[in-house]
Amino acid sequence: MPRYTTLICTAVRCQSTAASPSIPAQGTPEDDYNDGTDHTRFPPLENLPPRAASMPSPPPSRALESAKLAALHARLALPEKLPLQTLARALVDASADPNPDFNNSTLAFVGQSLIHYHVGEYLMCRYPRLPMDILYAAMKGYAGPTTLHHVARSWGIEHAAAPGGEVDPGLLQFSMHKPGDAITGFGYQRAELKYLRKYHWRHSISSRIVFDNDFGEIVDPEAERNTLRRRADTQYGDEYTRSLAERAYANCARAVVGALYTHAGRESAKAFVRAHILSRHLNLSQLFAFKKPTKELSLLCAREDFEPPIARLISETGRLSRTPVFVVGIFSGKDKLGEAAGPSLEHARVKAAMNALKSWYLYSPGEHVRVPSDMFTEGAKPWEPAYIDMGEIIGR
Amino acid sequence: METLLMRPVASCCRRLASSATRTPTPAMLLPQQPARGKATSARARRALNIPPHPSFLNSNKTADASNQPTEEIIYNPPESAASVYHTPVKFLPPSDPRRRANLAEILAASNPASSSSSSSPSTTQPSVESFPMLSKSAPAPKPRHHLTKEDIEEMRRLRAEDPVTNSVVSLARRFDCSQLFVLMCCQAPKEHREKMKAVEEKYKARWGPRRRAAREERARRNVLLYNGEI
Repeated sequence: MPRYTTLICTAVRCQSTAASPSIPAQGTPEDDYNDGTDHTRFPPLENLPPRAASMPSPPPSRALESAKLAALHARLALPEKLPLQTLARALVDASADPNPDFNNSTLAFVGQSLIHYHVGEYLMCRYPRLPMDILYAAMKGYAGPTTLHHVARSWGIEHAAAPGGEVDPGLLQFSMHKPGDAITGFGYQRAELKYLRKYHWRHSISSRIVFDNDFGEIVDPEAERNTLRRRADTQYGDEYTRSLAERAYANCARAVVGALYTHAGRESAKAFVRAHILSRHLNLSQLFAFKKPTKELSLLCAREDFEPPIARLISETGRLSRTPVFVVGIFSGKDKLGEAAGPSLEHARVKAAMNALKSWYLYSPGEHVRVPSDMFTEGAKPWEPAYIDMGEIIGR
Repeated sequence: METLLMRPVASCCRRLASSATRTPTPAMLLPQQPARGKATSARARRALNIPPHPSFLNSNKTADASNQPTEEIIYNPPESAASVYHTPVKFLPPSDPRRRANLAEILAASNPASSSSSSSPSTTQPSVESFPMLSKSAPAPKPRHHLTKEDIEEMRRLRAEDPVTNSVVSLARRFDCSQLFVLMCCQAPKEHREKMKAVEEKYKARWGPRRRAAREERARRNVLLYNGEI
C-alpha cells in the first residue's frame, strides 16, 4: 500500500516488495547517494536500490538481503511466519522515521500491552498477596524500560551511528537529534496533572490503579516531550544520549513482541514473553521497605485472628563482646512466623518482624501456577479460581 | 575444656609469682606461646581426633560389610537464615494443599505427649516457652473499646488545658488505656510541643562529638535496617 511520507513528498514508499512495481519511474534510477565519493575508485559494498539514501529508513525490500537481520531472526528462533521485513521495521525507532507505517511505534504499542498483560497476570497469580507498590516495582523490574533495554542488548542488536536509507536494516536505528513523534508514554493522563506538579498534591496508591501508567507513575506527555526536545542540542556520549539509546532499545524489544503477535499469534507471543522476560530472576524480597514492621505484624495477627506475636530469644552469642549476635524469632502461639539474627536485640526483633511480613506477602500458591491466559489454549482444563487475598494490612 | 584453658594461665601465674623478686628479662615480656594443653603430642593428637559428623559417615551398612566405597550425596548444609519464600504454615490460606500435607506434623508438634517417646525429632526440639521473651511484660491484651466518645473528648480537653499535669502517662493511667491510644486521640498544644522540643534541643546541644556521631550512625543503620539492606 503506497503511502506518502511527510519528509519526502516526491518519493513513494511501499511497505512490501509486491507493491514495488507500481512505483512510477522518477527520472534516472541512479543511486542518489552523492557525497562526492568516486564510486569507480571506491565501489559500494552493496548495490543500493534507487533513492535509498534519501529515505529516512532502509526500504523494506532490503531486509531480505541483510545478513544481520537473518541472523537475528534465527538467533531469536522466530517462526517462519514472521517475515524479515517486519523484523526490520521493528528496528526502526520513531525518531529515525516519523512515518508510523515504517517505524515501530505501532508494533511497540501492541508489544508493550502484551508484555504488561503477561507480566501482570503472572505476578498477580504467582504472588497474590503483594502490596500494590511492590507490585508496581516488580512490574517495572520485569517489564520496565531498563529491563527491556538489557533484553534487547542481550539479543545482540546493535545500533547504527545515524539512521538513513543506506544503513544495514539489521541495525537498530534511532536519531540523536530529532525528537520524532514517538509515543511518549502509555497510560491515563490525570486531569489535575498541573496541580500535582505545582502544589505537590499526593497521588495515592489506590488512585494509581485507575490513573497513571502500568508502573504507577504519572503520565506527563509534556514533560516527556520536553526531554525529547533536548535531543537537538546534545553531544554524543553523555548520560542523556545513553538514555535515548535505552529508550530505543526498549521500544525495539516491545516491537519484536508486537510483530510476533501480529504474524504468529497469541501463543507464540506469550511463549516469547515467558522465555525472554518472565524467565529473568527478580528477587522480590529486596523490594520491600517497612516503616513500622512490628506494628504491621501485630495488626496482621489481629486481622487474621492469630495469637498476638511475641518475640523470643532463640540463641545468642557474645552478649558482652563488641560483636554480639542475637537470633530472635517471632512466635504466634506455638508457630514461628519469622526469625532473624542481628547485632542487638532490637535490631534482630525488627528484622524478624520484617522477615515474617515478607513471608506473608510473598506467599505463592506454587511455582507453576495457572494464569488466565492459559484458558485460551485448545482443550484447557476447567479454570480453578486463583487465590485472591483480602488486601493490604496497612495503607502505605 | 575449662581445665584445658585454665592450665596455661595457672602455670603462667606461677612462673610470674616465682619471678616477681627478680628483674624481668626481655624474653618474659614477650607474649606467651599458645599452649597445646596436653602433656604429650600423642595425647594432644588423640584429644583432637574427633569423629566426623554422622552425615559424613557412610550410612549404608551393607557397603561397609563388603568394604566397597559407594558413591552417595552428603547433604549437610550449614545453618543459615530461613528463606522468606518459605511461607510458615500459619500463613498459608485454608485452600492451600500444603496445609493438608503438613497436618500430621502440626498435630505431632502441638501435643508432643501423644507422639512416640524418644525417636520423634519433634520431642527433641525445645518448646516455644523455653525461649525467653524479649519484652518483660506479656503481650497487650485485645483492645477492650471501653472508652466512649465523651471520654475521648474529656481526654482531649484535659490534655489541652494542662499538658504538664495531664501527661500521656497520667492520662493513660486515668482512663485505663494504653499510652499509644492517648497519643492517637489527642495532641498537646503547640506551645507545649515547642517547649518540649526546645528542651530536647538543649540536651542535644550538650552532646559531644562522639555521642553525636554514634547517634547519627545509629539513625543511618536504622534506615538500612528498615530497607532490608542489612
